[in-house]
Amino acid sequence: MANVLAFAESRAGALRKVALEAVTAARALADTAGGGEVHAIVAGAPGIAGEAPRLGAHGADRVVAVEHAAFANYDPESIAATVAERAKSGGYRAIIFSASAQGRDLAPRVAAKLGVGMLSDVISLEVSGDAIVAKHPAYANKVIATVAVTGSPAIVSLRPNAFTPVENARAGTVESAQPAADPGASRVVVRETIKGSSTRPDLTEAPVIVSGGRGLKAPENFKLVEELAEAFGNAAVGCTRAVTDDGWRPHSDQIGQTGRVVSPQLYVAVGISGAIQHLAGMRTSGTIVAINKDREAPIFKVADYGIVGDALQIVPALTKAVREARRHG
Amino acid sequence: MKIAVCIKRVPDMEARFRIASSGASVDEAGLKYDMGDFDGYAVEAALQITEKQGGEVVAISLGPAVVQETLRKALSMGVARAVQLEAAAIPFDGFAIARALAAELKDGGYDLIMFGKVALDSANGVVGAMTAELLGLPVVTACSKLDVAGGRGTARRELEGGAELVEFPLPAVVTIDEGIARPRYPALKGIMAAKKKPLEVKPAQLGEQRATIKSMELPAERPPGRIIGEGTDAIPELVRLLQNEAKVL
Amino acid sequence: MSPSNVLFLVILLLAIGFFVYNVQRLIAYLRVGKPDSRTGEPLARLKNVFVIALGQRKMFREPAAGVMHALIFWGFIVLTLGTIEILIEGVWAPFSYAMVFPGPLYSAYALSQDAFALLVLGAIGFAFYRRLIVHPKRLEGDETEHTDALLILGMIGALMLTLLLTGAFLHVLAPDVVPPEKMISRALGEGLGWVGADTARTGYLLNWWVHALLILGFLNYLPYSKHLHIASSIFNVYFSNTTGPGPIGVMRPMDLEAEDVEQFGASDVEHLTWKNLLDGYSCTECGRCTAACPANITGKVLSPRKIVINVRQRLMEKGPLLTGDTGELFSPTLVHGEGGDAGNETVGAVLGHRLLDNYITEEELWQCTSCRACVVECPVSIDQLEVINELRRHLVLSESRFPPEIQPAFESLERNGTPWAFSPTDRAAWAEGLAIPTMAEKLARGERPDVLFWVGCMGSFDDRAKRITVAFARIMQAAGIDFAILGQEEKCNGDPARRMGNEYLYQMLARDNVELLDRYQVRTVVTICPHCFHQIGNEYPQLGGDYEVIHHSTYIARLIEAGRVTLRGADGVDSITYHDSCYLGRYNDVYDAPRETLRRALPIVKVTEPPRTRSRGLCCGAGGGRMFMEEHQGKRINVERTEELLATGAGAIAVACPFCMTMMTDGVKAKGADVPVLDIAEVVEKALSR
Repeated sequence: MANVLAFAESRAGALRKVALEAVTAARALADTAGGGEVHAIVAGAPGIAGEAPRLGAHGADRVVAVEHAAFANYDPESIAATVAERAKSGGYRAIIFSASAQGRDLAPRVAAKLGVGMLSDVISLEVSGDAIVAKHPAYANKVIATVAVTGSPAIVSLRPNAFTPVENARAGTVESAQPAADPGASRVVVRETIKGSSTRPDLTEAPVIVSGGRGLKAPENFKLVEELAEAFGNAAVGCTRAVTDDGWRPHSDQIGQTGRVVSPQLYVAVGISGAIQHLAGMRTSGTIVAINKDREAPIFKVADYGIVGDALQIVPALTKAVREARRHG
Repeated sequence: MKIAVCIKRVPDMEARFRIASSGASVDEAGLKYDMGDFDGYAVEAALQITEKQGGEVVAISLGPAVVQETLRKALSMGVARAVQLEAAAIPFDGFAIARALAAELKDGGYDLIMFGKVALDSANGVVGAMTAELLGLPVVTACSKLDVAGGRGTARRELEGGAELVEFPLPAVVTIDEGIARPRYPALKGIMAAKKKPLEVKPAQLGEQRATIKSMELPAERPPGRIIGEGTDAIPELVRLLQNEAKVL
Repeated sequence: MSPSNVLFLVILLLAIGFFVYNVQRLIAYLRVGKPDSRTGEPLARLKNVFVIALGQRKMFREPAAGVMHALIFWGFIVLTLGTIEILIEGVWAPFSYAMVFPGPLYSAYALSQDAFALLVLGAIGFAFYRRLIVHPKRLEGDETEHTDALLILGMIGALMLTLLLTGAFLHVLAPDVVPPEKMISRALGEGLGWVGADTARTGYLLNWWVHALLILGFLNYLPYSKHLHIASSIFNVYFSNTTGPGPIGVMRPMDLEAEDVEQFGASDVEHLTWKNLLDGYSCTECGRCTAACPANITGKVLSPRKIVINVRQRLMEKGPLLTGDTGELFSPTLVHGEGGDAGNETVGAVLGHRLLDNYITEEELWQCTSCRACVVECPVSIDQLEVINELRRHLVLSESRFPPEIQPAFESLERNGTPWAFSPTDRAAWAEGLAIPTMAEKLARGERPDVLFWVGCMGSFDDRAKRITVAFARIMQAAGIDFAILGQEEKCNGDPARRMGNEYLYQMLARDNVELLDRYQVRTVVTICPHCFHQIGNEYPQLGGDYEVIHHSTYIARLIEAGRVTLRGADGVDSITYHDSCYLGRYNDVYDAPRETLRRALPIVKVTEPPRTRSRGLCCGAGGGRMFMEEHQGKRINVERTEELLATGAGAIAVACPFCMTMMTDGVKAKGADVPVLDIAEVVEKALSR
């Protein structure tokens, strides 16, 4: 019988999906460890307590709402102190964070404040005797390590998207709490928050990249690639060296040995033959899709899914299909 | 300006890893080692600051004697001196490492303590923030831009779908993301000079290690490429595979 | 001795004295350079002098200009004999070669003087025509350079005219003195028969004095002119290694272990060798190098001529300071040419300058493909490339300055032993299922293969080049050759690192490879890559690695010759053109083997040649590490070359280098053409009868 604390991440007054992932994982952990309570702690500007029902719906027995005007922005020092304070008084078996930008910042601070061990960026989680055991991708995701941490509370951060939020309604009783440290005294202060621009994400961070090569035949045909990226919603546009050499695209878009090295979850190569120089920059992508008219093109050797044919015909049709799929999916 | 950069010796991530016979570590045979990618950015960023404002950069690394190679690399890039915190192996437990580093850094008089945001081998990314907490210093993690002047620092942190600009007083700890500065390639001149720079060896005070690796396995091999069809007829199948098999749509 | 004899003697001694002073000064400047032993194998060097300097062989690579120059040059040698007679005559009037030469020899001498004077005049006329009317592109430089050339041509022309007129007026005065073999002087004299004796005497004396003073003036003008090459180029050819002795095109060895080394490569003239500096004295700015340079041809700033001229300019600027020659400091000689800062400067400014950056920019240096076209073209055996290589070494080793895009190549070479970010464990993936043993496997069985197949990084990792690798392996299997590969133990030969100036990285790789090859007691190496071929065969001896290395074009030709593979002729294409690889051709003189192989494999097919071919073949653009750099300026070299090859109308393009393969394939794609690019191994493999 042990309680588990989940940190419910929010931004701009709303929970993030990773908050629900953390609560879901905490619920599962508490249940397998003998059925303790799950407490979710959420920090934000006044009004954030209104998000409590969603946390309850995903398995939080209690929601600790820490509301403060200064929490409109992420205040790592005050929030870390508050979570640590709660942990000390709550006797938790584990504290669950997301390995998001905020969670990666917060979790080690809390662990150090409590003087306990932690596991980062895990994709599974279970209790095994006096340890918490997890799977953790290491070595640039090329190795899956089974890692364990002993002592209480154990701090764990979850790889985003690795845990699917599951509804599992609990009371979600709201309990108000005050920051354990005065936010006004925080040394690190957010001066400005920069909204993700409406344009596409940066190549090295984008989860999806649509990339074009000389098979597109003319620079104006790159709009087909851009439309496909648009259809994926969060895709960046890249290209090959031949294309930047010909001045169709800026050098900053080039993927390959002499350009950017990328590793998105999905890489769509359009009209790219797959020269060594290009492969060196995208080989480690999660799923690779290739569209090329030459069946012998080396890109098909690394592509999970290849389509032989004229990119100029296939891409518009694929754009339509992806839009459809995303609308319904 | 006195800056410490904490770096880790890691294998080249291009390698095709194998699991050692112990089952709980990678087989080191044939692996090439260097400082971690993000550590390289941190060293470069530190050097650029002292080149502009004066001061010195000290590189610190924890581990067995081989980490001296990594420290020499930092010295060849222009770091003034180096400290090896000697340990039989580099522990997986980030908190143990942070404790040893904090003990070394405590009385060093550093204005800025820099880390790479994560070492890709253990892939924890916790040591910087933990060290800061142990030292009671402000910390900014994953900075993609960093400016220091007049006893204060400003940094840009990348977030999902955005970024924030933060301000903090020195001394402070920062961990460095990519995008800040491409690490310089050491000139032969620097490599020669590095051989004569001071490298101090001290025992690491690791303490108890609570986080450990129990075992390791390799993820499923990437299947060989496959062509699923020709022309626009293949699109429905592609979309189906992206949704159901690859789960990326 | 008449007063005029005394006067002439004084002038003569002054002129010779001043010339000697200048010569010793210029030689003192050469001592600014680093030592470099260039005295070995005197016979081979003399042969170069006879063939290249005296025989003017390289001049004739451009026929019209070649004949013109050869006539002036040979005329100059022949007429120098006459000059000596005239100078002695000036001091002692009665002197004539007739007094010392036997009759027939004197007759021949007399004939040669008049005949060559006329030939030289004709050549000078043609030279004026080219400079003033035709304006060949390669001769276009700045103002000074042109004036200098015209001044020299004018002087030579005037020398010839006064020589003939001296004879003519003498003939008027004393018809018996001028030998009958001096037909032109005599004919001119006949034409001048109408002048009175006094006029004839005046004309004779005037022309004699003008001629003699011109000679002495010419002699003393040389050290202040690019035409110093008249004196320096013979020595330059003697001391040059560009056509041997020794392997050609190898980079200078570098001792990185030497403790006291502070300077790596060259950033100024004192870091170059005296021979590099002598190259500067020998350049007459003909521009043949620049006209052959692929970078320059495609509109880039690199000009090998400018590199050499800049070395000379900088030497003239800094030499006086380093040698304490204060008299010349503010009136530098040989100062003119393209770009750079030379001129009258303060000592501080001179010391603040250096060759790198002030004269030769980083941009120029990184545009070089190391194709050696400039070196091969130079009529006086200048080595432009060595200067470029030494400056690149300095940039990388001392200052870590290079195009940012090559850093990943350096890092990958260090980590993975290949310039591309591929794992060494994948190196032999191409050989799976082909039953090709590795050296380690052979050794384990207690066997030693006859031949090591050195695959190279392109052949190991690049999907297109892997097909060449497989084709060649199949040919060797068909021929029953006992061979093995190194598999995962092979590493990049180091050529890209070395050509990009990273000697440290090169030696790391090369020493590992030498150790590996020696451990397996390898004697014979075959390779499909001309860069591996050149590097292992010609440059590894510097590190103690001695192997017989054979490029696959030669090896296949030998297998066919020996009847070990039989071919059944080809189908598909009706004509094929061959693109010469620089490291095969200009570095190793392998021009015929690939062509012969193509002819044998494709007996009914026509092998066409582009206009620039063999030793003049245009580089594909990948050498010198250019493969790993962006091409920012001008037209792309591979496109230029592909256009030339496509213009032959051939149905296919043959190459013998995996780098050329990439560049030509890209070029064909860029042109939207539908012409296959094939390696000769692929052509042969397809034609194998099995």
